[in-house]
Amino acid sequence: MIKILIVEDEEPIANLIRMNLVKAGYQCEIASDGEEAANVIQERTFDLMLLDIMLPKLNGYEVLEYAKVVDIPVIFLTAMGETQQKVKGLKMGAEDYIAKPFEIAELLARVETVLRRYKKTERKLKLLDIEIDTDSRTVTQNGCPVDLTTKEYELLLLFLRNKNRALYRETIYENVWGGEYSGNSRTVDLHVQRLKKKLGLEEHITAIYKVGYRLVI
Amino acid sequence: MKLSWKLFFITTPIFIIFLTVFGTWMVQDNFWSSFDREVEACMVENQMFQNSYELTKHALSETQREQASTKKIVESFYRRRGKADGNARVLGTHWEVLYQDNDLNIEHSIMEQLDDSHNVGYEIKRSGDEVYVVVLCRNVFGEYIETTKNITEVFENRTEMYSRYRMGVLLMAVLVGGVILLVLFFVMRNMQKLSRATRQFARGKYDTRVAIRSNDEIGTLAADFNWMANAMNTQMEQLQNEVQRQEEFTAAFAHELKTPLTSIIGYADTIRQMDLSPEETDMCADYIYRQGKRLQSLSYKLMEMTLAEKQEISYQEIYVPEFLQEIQRVVAVSLQEKNLRLSVSAQEGVIYGDRELLASVFINLIDNARKASEEGKNIWMTGVAMPGGYSVTVEDEGRGISPEELSRITEPFYMVDKSRARKEGGAGLGLALCRKIIELHQGSWQFQSEPGKGLKITVLFGLPEVTGRERTRRRREQRRAEKERKKGRRRQRNTER
Repeated sequence: MIKILIVEDEEPIANLIRMNLVKAGYQCEIASDGEEAANVIQERTFDLMLLDIMLPKLNGYEVLEYAKVVDIPVIFLTAMGETQQKVKGLKMGAEDYIAKPFEIAELLARVETVLRRYKKTERKLKLLDIEIDTDSRTVTQNGCPVDLTTKEYELLLLFLRNKNRALYRETIYENVWGGEYSGNSRTVDLHVQRLKKKLGLEEHITAIYKVGYRLVI
Repeated sequence: MKLSWKLFFITTPIFIIFLTVFGTWMVQDNFWSSFDREVEACMVENQMFQNSYELTKHALSETQREQASTKKIVESFYRRRGKADGNARVLGTHWEVLYQDNDLNIEHSIMEQLDDSHNVGYEIKRSGDEVYVVVLCRNVFGEYIETTKNITEVFENRTEMYSRYRMGVLLMAVLVGGVILLVLFFVMRNMQKLSRATRQFARGKYDTRVAIRSNDEIGTLAADFNWMANAMNTQMEQLQNEVQRQEEFTAAFAHELKTPLTSIIGYADTIRQMDLSPEETDMCADYIYRQGKRLQSLSYKLMEMTLAEKQEISYQEIYVPEFLQEIQRVVAVSLQEKNLRLSVSAQEGVIYGDRELLASVFINLIDNARKASEEGKNIWMTGVAMPGGYSVTVEDEGRGISPEELSRITEPFYMVDKSRARKEGGAGLGLALCRKIIELHQGSWQFQSEPGKGLKITVLFGLPEVTGRERTRRRREQRRAEKERKKGRRRQRNTER
């Protein structure tokens, strides 16, 4: 199981992240200040660290130095949206950057991306009779390859990461296409319809009235 | 053209012209006095010759006079008193030469000037390079006596003086020009320094200063420049500090705003996207509610700060003992919850300021004391009247603050104990607000604390500023009182006598 360390001094935010990551199937631990985080990563191994920058005792940049020693990928998590700080964090060796406030789907997507980059996730994902190879980006169903467009593939991954979670149209759009959701676009619906048809997922991807879709397993 | 060259080309010619005019006048004056002297000398010579000649000729008898030649006569008195200075001639009544010292024959027309009333005349004559003065007189025998003197030297002297003087003027011109240039160079060098400094300043080197120490106008200008530069630097520093403070405030504010927002958005997002158990939903809702409350308290405090900044202070006299008791009443309820005792004591006295703003300062300070104190502890609020002001101290027995944190506690959003401050519903703006209000009142404050030993905050208020007119009025009154006193003493002495 994948273990993630959450370093965040604001208890509500730490709990929020843990709650959602646990539901997504990760194992989580919380450190509420920089010193604690530095101690914890030397005692136990983690696959990923979510690190706040403004921390008591040791700040995020200092904790990052410790994380590099034990080779833990780090995603910065901070309220300071200044480009300079983003650049500083990334230059120092952070894998990614999440600006507060964030949406849960975005958090999960970024966590997954970094984990995949570090090959910490299963390379082959399974959903019913569908197999997804994230390395070669190929999808097979009952051994037969299925041709999916890039967007359809991304959409499938998004559903897979958010099993049993209601995905709003805007969330889907922002995660797959990027950019602001205009509100009356049919793009999301069209792509979901095509994906359902191609993989025979009509039963499992259910439309939620006025909201969006949910993958029910 | 540069100012120094302009000044040089104006001063030097003026100097030369004055020198030339003055010199010419001197030389000419000198020449004329020498010339007059020479002519005079020649006249005297002529006179003496004539006297001697007439005396000698008178002494002779009639016959002797006819036998003796003029030459003999002249030679006889020459023997007695020496030869004439220069050249003498004796001419007969018909201009025939009767005697001459040498053969210097100078044409002249003096005889035409002579008549019955004027029997002496002179003329300046040039013969070749030489200049002569010729004096002619008619003696009692109807003969003419002519003396000639070479005065070339006088003219030569003049020429020589002129040439020497020309050299002098030339030398002086060079010298004076040089000196003027040198002086101008020094003056202008300072000017250039000043102008260079100004240019550098304009290009953004704001630490540029001019090192010119002199008592002249340029020195004053340099001092003024430095003064201006200092004033501008101070101003800029203030602005920069202000900007930096603003930036820090904005960054801290963004953080304070985004943290509760993250929780609210995140938990709401979780509720709407997931099927949660009732307990989980409750927990999420609780977080949303609390973080919403936090946002609310933040926005209230911010509003207060903005108001404090915008507000015109309506200065009024506040009678401190009553004022502090009023504050005690306001905070009583919240203190009771933690079973804290607040003891208020105040000396007679007044402070000048805005009642509501100042009340908010002390309510905030007591609120901080409450947050830092454990149950059952004491808080003291003490007012002390001092010469020239009034001080109010708020002291608690709480956790205290370490020295390095003391310097930061007035920064907006700074919290010594973040998690505890959150629980108490603080936004980290209380002391920043107090500082703003105290600054508005031209007051000051001091902190005294040690970890574990409580915190003591002393706020000092000065007397209201006395205006200029008020000051003169008071001084006048003082002087009058002084006079009265003196008068009284005098009267007392008088009665004693």
